[in-house]
Amino acid sequence: MKRVLQTLAVLAVLGGLGAAVVVSFGLYNVSARVGHLPGVSWVLHTTFRNAVSLRAPKHADVPPLSPEMAELGARHFDAACAVCHAPPGRIRTATMRAMLPEPPRIADAVAGWTPAELAWIVREGVKMSGMPHWPSVRDDEVWPVVAFLMRVGEMTGEDYAALTAPPRMPARAPEGAAYCAGCHGVDGRSGNPHIPRLDILGAPYLALSLETYRGGMRESGVMRHAASEVPETALPDLVRYFAEQGSTDATTGGAGMPGTEGAADGAPRASVPEGRTSTGAVPDGTASPTPGPEAPGTNAPGTDTPGADPGLVARGEALALASSGDRDVPACRACHGPSADRKSADFPELSGQYAPYLETQLKIWRDGTRGGGPRANLMTRAAAELGDDDIAALAAYYASLSPQSAPAEE
Amino acid sequence: MTTRRRRAIAVRAGLAAALTALAACDGPQSVLSPAGDDASQLTTLFWVMLVGAVVLWTAMNGFFFWITRIRTGEMSRKWAEALIIGGGILFPVVVLTALLSYGLTIMPDQRAPGDGLRVRITGEQWWWRVEYWSEGADAPVVSANELRLPAGLRSDIELTAARVIHSFWVPALGGKMDMFPGRVTETSLAPHTPGTYRGQCAEFCGLSHALMAFRAVVLPEDEFDAWLAREAEDSAAPPGPGRDVFMAEGCGACHTVRGTEAAGQVGPDLTHVGSRQSLAAGILPMTSDALVDWIADPEAFKPGVEMPGYDHLPQEDMMALARWLEGLK
Repeated sequence: MKRVLQTLAVLAVLGGLGAAVVVSFGLYNVSARVGHLPGVSWVLHTTFRNAVSLRAPKHADVPPLSPEMAELGARHFDAACAVCHAPPGRIRTATMRAMLPEPPRIADAVAGWTPAELAWIVREGVKMSGMPHWPSVRDDEVWPVVAFLMRVGEMTGEDYAALTAPPRMPARAPEGAAYCAGCHGVDGRSGNPHIPRLDILGAPYLALSLETYRGGMRESGVMRHAASEVPETALPDLVRYFAEQGSTDATTGGAGMPGTEGAADGAPRASVPEGRTSTGAVPDGTASPTPGPEAPGTNAPGTDTPGADPGLVARGEALALASSGDRDVPACRACHGPSADRKSADFPELSGQYAPYLETQLKIWRDGTRGGGPRANLMTRAAAELGDDDIAALAAYYASLSPQSAPAEE
Repeated sequence: MTTRRRRAIAVRAGLAAALTALAACDGPQSVLSPAGDDASQLTTLFWVMLVGAVVLWTAMNGFFFWITRIRTGEMSRKWAEALIIGGGILFPVVVLTALLSYGLTIMPDQRAPGDGLRVRITGEQWWWRVEYWSEGADAPVVSANELRLPAGLRSDIELTAARVIHSFWVPALGGKMDMFPGRVTETSLAPHTPGTYRGQCAEFCGLSHALMAFRAVVLPEDEFDAWLAREAEDSAAPPGPGRDVFMAEGCGACHTVRGTEAAGQVGPDLTHVGSRQSLAAGILPMTSDALVDWIADPEAFKPGVEMPGYDHLPQEDMMALARWLEGLK
């Protein structure tokens, strides 16, 4: 017995010494050209697949993955992910193909994964593979990307190009505006309920938002990427351009685009800008090989305003105006209107904003993951006591209002 | 350490303790200088009990001394039985029955029905929501962190709490009563001497329990009526930079200033905040300097407070806001 233990101890010391020699003298070849030793790729890949299956969220936690979410996901994918994972209709560059492991074309990459597993991969990334994690602590933002990924396998090159083409901008639009307008619309009215309208927000708030995204104070993987993709010197012009959409809108009917007249009443889908695809361009999720929990039609475009439940809107109004007698929820109106009193320009205007976007924001405020500017502590306290039903009511109420005029018009 | 030095320290410590104890016998928050019928009664009860206890203690110890040091001889059986039955059963029954009857007879007085005014007080973290219901009124006059009562009249006090248990206690006016979330407890107070007294939460209720106080102001009846009529009015809320800051920064989300759009129910009603004697539930003076300090960083004065800090506001905005609030009389 003693002899056995001594032998094991000697072997352990020798093994440790061997490892130390390999590490200190650089004996292991890290060349991507040479690749892994036989069997290592299989071990790593199997570990990867099993680790994702073990940790992926429950199937029941997957939200409905609507076509609007897929539109947003496609835009983000195009800006952030397409460089490695070639989308339909494009080829991977020779450089990307020389990576180890080689990033698969996106249609190949998503095959065989469930929506929950894709969400985990997009959120967490995969170490030693070059796949980054989501650049924010928020865990709700990956679902639009997943909505896109569940559809990308069926897309043709034309489908993808139509989804991600930059819109045609008016001549006076500053450089970089087309990139912003891809999601937010040429006139700042995204037309997509998951993407906020910018035309109602006002220049100070837009500038503050971009600053806090770039500085890492406000959480959003999508917007942190977007705000860091545009050069800092271009930001003031972009802010001015989108802020002007709100004030010119009432008189000229949007940014001179046809078909935007009448949009001043706040109907969110009245202003799908030229160059955007209609939602019909997004293949239906049910055709996906992996059955997801999508329920096409339940989240049809524009359900946020016209079809809003009047009871829900009334409840939201009572909360927002503090007429409900609720002693836990501060009156939204005091900072966000509608109000006769002038409000600080650092508070965003909410009237006319899209309900799904407002709901998402209120939830991350309540959960403490939103972050923001110097006044963010106010909203963190204000949202702390909101229930999901309160949030739905408040979002429905503000979405039902017509946008307040820009402060200059008061 | 020598015995003498130890003794000197003990004497000094004893003196200090006695002085501290005596210091509590007077002032705005003392049970021993009553300003209300209920407190007077409780003070009488205290003195009766104290005197009774001193007499009994002296008698018992005297008796022990006598029996062990003075009359040390053997006691006859008859004597011993008389002592056990008389001193051990009869005497305590008689004395305790008398004290219990006295105590029970004055208990209902603490909850005697009032003369019309009903004040509903809600314990919040860590402040007091105060609503005055005059006889026949269908809506209350809402105020906070200060209790005003008419002298010479008995007022009903209804107590409840928002989230955790608190206890309402104005020692100079009456006994304490707990406040429970979801339940209403009742007491009544009949102050007789006008003046300003101090109330304090008397049940540990979280981080800033010790900083949850208020002023209880007893006014002659006519002055009280005039005050309540003024308190019921909307605020003048004069226009100016301070009002603009209040409205622009969203203070009205949590605070009501009647007569303006500010209708928040979360924090104290500020309609006549400048007329109160203290700020932040009895812990700061009502001055514009204190208002600035408080609004910039409430957490520094009241750990765990729900009000967020506004240290992002420029100094001139802050001063304008504080002066405006101070002027809300």
